[in-house]
Amino acid sequence: MFDSLKNRIKTVQEKLSINIQAAALTSPPSLDEGKGKQGKIRLTEKVRTLVRDRELILSEKDIAEPLAELELVLLENDVAFPTTEAIISTLRGELTGKRRRIGSSIDTLVVESLRSALRGVLGSGFDITTYLRTHEKPVKILFTGVNGTGKTTSIAKIAYFLRNKGFSVVIASGDTYRAGAQEQLSTLAQRVETKVIQHQPGADPTAVIFDAVQYANAHHTDVVLADTAGRFHNRANLMNQLEKIKRVIKPDLIIYVDEAVAGNDAVIRAEEFNRLVGTDAIMLTKADMDMKGGAAISIAHTIGKPIAFLGTGQAYEDLKPFSPDVLVGEILGEA
Amino acid sequence: MVSKVDGTDSREVQALQAYLNEYGQQAEVLSRQLDFMERQRMESMAAIDALKALATEKQSVILVPIGGGTTIRAQIIDPDNVLVNIGADVVIKRKNTEAIGFLEDRIKELEALEKKVADSLDQVRGQINEIAKRIDQEYRKAQAG
Ligand SMILES: Nc1nc2c(ncn2[C@@H]2O[C@H](COP(=O)(O)OP(=O)(O)OP(=O)(O)O)[C@@H](O)[C@H]2O)c(=O)[nH]1
Ligand SMILES: [Mg+2]
Repeated sequence: MFDSLKNRIKTVQEKLSINIQAAALTSPPSLDEGKGKQGKIRLTEKVRTLVRDRELILSEKDIAEPLAELELVLLENDVAFPTTEAIISTLRGELTGKRRRIGSSIDTLVVESLRSALRGVLGSGFDITTYLRTHEKPVKILFTGVNGTGKTTSIAKIAYFLRNKGFSVVIASGDTYRAGAQEQLSTLAQRVETKVIQHQPGADPTAVIFDAVQYANAHHTDVVLADTAGRFHNRANLMNQLEKIKRVIKPDLIIYVDEAVAGNDAVIRAEEFNRLVGTDAIMLTKADMDMKGGAAISIAHTIGKPIAFLGTGQAYEDLKPFSPDVLVGEILGEA
Repeated sequence: MVSKVDGTDSREVQALQAYLNEYGQQAEVLSRQLDFMERQRMESMAAIDALKALATEKQSVILVPIGGGTTIRAQIIDPDNVLVNIGADVVIKRKNTEAIGFLEDRIKELEALEKKVADSLDQVRGQINEIAKRIDQEYRKAQAG
């Protein structure tokens, strides 16, 4: 995941370290041997030791260049503009203005500042199992998103995941519009051994989901996962249909599904869905195919809703509960 | 009445068919993706050619398509400053050579990604062949028995 982003962040990280070392060498007046340029050249352990335990205040100028580069790197990897700005300004705030003891490692300072800047835009994540344990059953979860992003596949994955955690699950086949959608869902559900409620093709999806909720009530099922169509005549009709489902079914959670590979487009669509039908959490699919990570980094920050899951492949085991710390680790090349 | 093919092994065949459909869909998605990336890469290459040509030819006249099959003659007034959508829908002014460098990097990235997707596609196609073979075997068994 995120190969392209990862490599370029690494470069920026190194440049930041070099600049900070140079600044540390030039800052104390008692030491005259290290003038800017020389500091850059002498990038050795000896220099690192010299710098250690010295107090310094970094100025914005000291790190302006690598920060400008980081800004480009983030934008080029499809991190949304406001999110990029937020990351840069946190990082700048972390590094400059404070009198600080550099301590044993400049690299650590840089990595930890980057970590907190990235961590700041990723939000807290969303722990679905805790949610399920603390809410009245059945918990009704509605899945939304445009066609082909991976709603149906993700529902099968989540069913499998939840059943392994000991929850009972029923799936509502709410995509009655696309030919083959119901068949696809029943095949997937069979494979993860989960009950599916279906009606005729073309039936009212609200009625299907309503039936699934009835079934869950009667059988004390913990969770209802409701699939929906990704395409329906046109976008306005799709939104109306989702609006109706929402009004009648009153889902506990609406999970918006989009693909990480769509980059900024995913972020823009997520905003639209959030505005028109609401969203409680996000599932980002196809993270396994995503070199850039732009959507994964910006989507929570942009719409202000947490990411719950990442999809990391086509098989039903390929699901990761989203952890901001793990994602940041991945981006910083630690995982 | 239950025919031989629909008899003992029909559920096996049905399951195999379901897998076949699914892998078929996956293959379709992947090859669409591949096409899309290929097109993007070609576009970037064409843009590089255009930028190079414009850089050497100051004050050139080109044809600009403005939609509906109509074209207009236009003069390039500033071939050295290029507006580049670098990502996240952010457009930045770059020098001609910088823009070319950016496009070249993008082409490299696309190539790497295309390779990844092509590998997945190969895998899926391999699986499709496997399943097709097994379905064939099941039918033969049914006919022979
Ligand atoms: N590589 C990869 N492929 C995925 C992932 N999630 C889904 N897919 C693939 O994406 C394609 C579309 O998935 P679907 O689940 O049918 O998408 P959908 O949102 O239900 O589509 P509609 O029903 O048309 O709205 C399938 O080929 C899936 O195998 C993922 O995490 N990684
Ligand atoms: Mg679907």
